[in-house]
Amino acid sequence: MSAIIRLDIVLHETVATAYCDLVTRPTGAAVRHRVITVLRGLPDDNAELDFSEVGLMDFSCADEVVAKLLVETIGLRIPRLRLRGVRDHHAEAIQFALARYDLVIVAVLAASPEPMLLGSAPEDWRTAFRALTRLGRAPALPVAEVLAWPVDRTVDALHGLANHRCVVEHPDATFEPGAAA
Amino acid sequence: MTRIVPVPQHLDHLSLDQLAAGLGPWPPDSRLLVDAHATEWSSPAGFVALLTLGQALAELGAPTPELTLPVTEGVASYWAKAGVLRHAEQLFQLHGKVPRRRVDETSDILLPLTIIRNAADVMEIVGRLTEQATQILKHELGLESSVVVGFGQSLSEACQNIVEHAGTAGWVAVHVYVYRKRLSGRKVAVIAVSDCGIGFRRSLDATQGKRFGDRWGDAQAIETALIHGISRFRDPGRGQGLTGIKRYLARWEGKISIRSGTARVAIVPAWDDEPPRMEGLPWFPGSQVTIVIPGEERST
Repeated sequence: MSAIIRLDIVLHETVATAYCDLVTRPTGAAVRHRVITVLRGLPDDNAELDFSEVGLMDFSCADEVVAKLLVETIGLRIPRLRLRGVRDHHAEAIQFALARYDLVIVAVLAASPEPMLLGSAPEDWRTAFRALTRLGRAPALPVAEVLAWPVDRTVDALHGLANHRCVVEHPDATFEPGAAA
Repeated sequence: MTRIVPVPQHLDHLSLDQLAAGLGPWPPDSRLLVDAHATEWSSPAGFVALLTLGQALAELGAPTPELTLPVTEGVASYWAKAGVLRHAEQLFQLHGKVPRRRVDETSDILLPLTIIRNAADVMEIVGRLTEQATQILKHELGLESSVVVGFGQSLSEACQNIVEHAGTAGWVAVHVYVYRKRLSGRKVAVIAVSDCGIGFRRSLDATQGKRFGDRWGDAQAIETALIHGISRFRDPGRGQGLTGIKRYLARWEGKISIRSGTARVAIVPAWDDEPPRMEGLPWFPGSQVTIVIPGEERST
């Protein structure tokens, strides 16, 4: 199960504005604090931040809402935190914000159902992520076979993704890209 | 005693140097009369700079300066339409016929002169512009949706610089006009932002000044922020605003020019010939940012 947090609603709960734009650092910080409060109240669940109804997002807000959120939720028991309904300009701002911290997140763009990684991810991670997305829940070996990679290389990439909460590593040594994937 | 400060016939972000040269010592040792009677045209950068001057004097507690309005027919009326006079009358004692024209958001004035005091003002400005000006930017300038979105992001970041760094309020205006010479009649959208705050050098002094030693000054401070994306905050997420604007402008052949204190630094596209770095200019309060986005090239 994934809890869906609509950012346009959080914005209007947090800031008195007639618009749906995520702009300015104070706004981004206020939205982030509210999202963290919501995340703390969730059971050990996946969570998705829904950008579908968000208008413009500036670079500072991408930093406050997404990058700093990832930094601050490291201690929370959320298996996966994903973005959805992300438009191209959101993705670009988020990409650059995350790269500054060496962070990465899974996002589903509004224009495509295929999940992708935004932020700072080695090419191996991106390739392994795409392969796992196609396979669904799987151990490292079939992923390695699909990619024609050595298993060690595949395991390294999948562990990297799991450590950054882009995929879930289950106790039976399988990896899962998640419900949105 | 009154010092007369002549306003150039054409006031823009470059001829602002002439206005600054007329200020004399700062703080002024006498009341200022800002004389725009012969001014025939002003860019939004000129408008925001004039109000910045008035605000700087008010913040100093200096005697209220005087402002002689343009006499050329239609000019003062345009100043009223652009929202200049409604703010100027709070900061200056106006001389000349003050047109009582309403502020207008038409095809050439996307955003009339607007004050920026806090983040809520920035949200309102960006929201209003996005809602009302998108069609103009798309149809009159032929900008694609992605360019319009980047325009809004750049406007937001430029305005936020005031809230985050200036330590006081500032001004913004967004106009569309035609660059006949430089772009062969192509339309451009211009964002002009100005404040009378602490300026780039003082903002970055504590964290960057020692690194540069004798080379530290207004130009180096602007370059540190604009070219290297460094902010006074140590937070790694900071400094993204100007970096993002720069990235956007590079993609769409846009231009940014920043004046602060006695220097001006610009990232200049191929169509323009502004010097990329000017030092030793006459001092002007605060910081002024001008962003120019060209519209599409249309066959005639």
